[in-house]
Amino acid sequence: MRELELYFGPQHLGMVGNFSITLKAEGDRVLKATANPGYLHRGFEKLMEYRTWIQNFPLVCRINVVEPDHVEMAYAMAVEKLAGIEVPERAQYVRSIYLELARVGSHLFGLWAYANMLGFDTVAQWAMYHRDLVLDLFEELTGGRVYHIYIWPGGVRRDFPKGFKDKIVTTLHSIGGCVPDYDAAFFNNAIFHKRASGIGKIDQRRARELGATGQVLRATGMKYDVRKVAPYAAYDKVEWNVPVRSDGDAYSRIWVVRDEMIESVHMIFKLLDCMPEGEVFNKPPNPFKWKIPRGEAYARCESSRGEFGAYVVSNGEDKPYRVHFRTPSYPHGLIILEKLLENANIADVGNTMISLYVVAPEIDR
Amino acid sequence: MNEGLKEKLEKAFPHAAITSMRDTDYVVTADKESVLSLLAYVKDAGFDHLTLISCVDWIDEGEFELVYILSPYMKDNEQISGNEKINLILKTRIARGNPAFQTVTHIFENAEPYERELHELFGVHFEGHKRLIPLFLERAYDIPPFRKDFDTRRYVKEVFDNIPAIQDIKA
Repeated sequence: MRELELYFGPQHLGMVGNFSITLKAEGDRVLKATANPGYLHRGFEKLMEYRTWIQNFPLVCRINVVEPDHVEMAYAMAVEKLAGIEVPERAQYVRSIYLELARVGSHLFGLWAYANMLGFDTVAQWAMYHRDLVLDLFEELTGGRVYHIYIWPGGVRRDFPKGFKDKIVTTLHSIGGCVPDYDAAFFNNAIFHKRASGIGKIDQRRARELGATGQVLRATGMKYDVRKVAPYAAYDKVEWNVPVRSDGDAYSRIWVVRDEMIESVHMIFKLLDCMPEGEVFNKPPNPFKWKIPRGEAYARCESSRGEFGAYVVSNGEDKPYRVHFRTPSYPHGLIILEKLLENANIADVGNTMISLYVVAPEIDR
Repeated sequence: MNEGLKEKLEKAFPHAAITSMRDTDYVVTADKESVLSLLAYVKDAGFDHLTLISCVDWIDEGEFELVYILSPYMKDNEQISGNEKINLILKTRIARGNPAFQTVTHIFENAEPYERELHELFGVHFEGHKRLIPLFLERAYDIPPFRKDFDTRRYVKEVFDNIPAIQDIKA
């Protein structure tokens, strides 16, 4: 049979945008897949070397378009480590609640993408609507819907506005009330189960060798979650579970996402209940005169896609000397994807791609 | 870090300097000859998750610093040992004039895209890497763009000033 070269994306429903795969195929079987990032032309890490520590915040949040908050958190934690800034206790709780809201919003977006790609349009519309409700909360809290620039070194920019706690509870209850509908229409749907089980299967040993984190690893049965193994913010203050599945396929990954959303909502309620009063911001020095002592720091957090890290080097100036982000989509999208697509069916390429939860801007920083 | 590992490392690699920065970050500075054996050693000692490979251009000192950040995966699903929170930052320096180093893809398979990135953005050549093909860039720059002597502003000026502005084009 004749060997064909097929260009998959960047304009494709099964693609997350700004990313493409070159497939070498024989019939409908993929022989070899090559991931092609590089459609974004940004070089943020280089740009950050030309801007002050605080001026970098509007840049970092754009590294992950879907959930900018974890990028802010990783960068802010690295700067705090370097400069030795303490964060008030209330701010830790506010950060955790805010990051969990971001996780719910991001997972709903991921659900939209997955459902949309498989043709479950109704579920996709629900997910987008519910994500919008979460974005309404962000708008009230920070003024921005998508990019928030809320977490700063030393805490968060402002406290919750009056009545905000009740709004979080109401919104999350109205989303949570629809979980049975989601289950019936999507997660427990026989058509979805047939379409997703066994797709993009990876076992735990292989996932570890290839540097997987997040859902990709947890769907193979390992309870590895940075929030649990290296707690930051207020994640060690309340009880919560790490959802896992054991099959390692697309179906398991999306179920881990579903369970994680529910766990996040429960966690937000618990955090809201035991939140202390007090300050939320230890103001850092004047941003234009702020020089951070020579040194380096690596800080990491668990974004909705896996382990997100920031390696920051200072040489004593008012600007970073070098910044490098460790993004979860990097190993998932560049190496695991290529391996999983070998010998796959062409019809499953989009399915595998989206179930790995890759977001292209994270790769092409 | 558990004290045992620190002692073991010091014993096995007497030339490597081990400093702890904070409770969870440990920096091991080694010469470039011992990096590969160090990486294999710490992998066996439990640090089996290569999180990131980075590069810092110390232009004044004429050196590139390669940075390998490692942390352990969980060994037991039901119990967190406490080692998982440790970031082991392994650093080594190579000459800027001849930026070449051995690949670590045979120790950590997921090093492949990181090394490709550093090859492209810093011009560091990794010997033994099977696929040092372009990752992000479309153009061949005279200086790899993430090096400190690559001036982004000068580059923009040189490239875009040569394209005439719309009002300058005569009908």
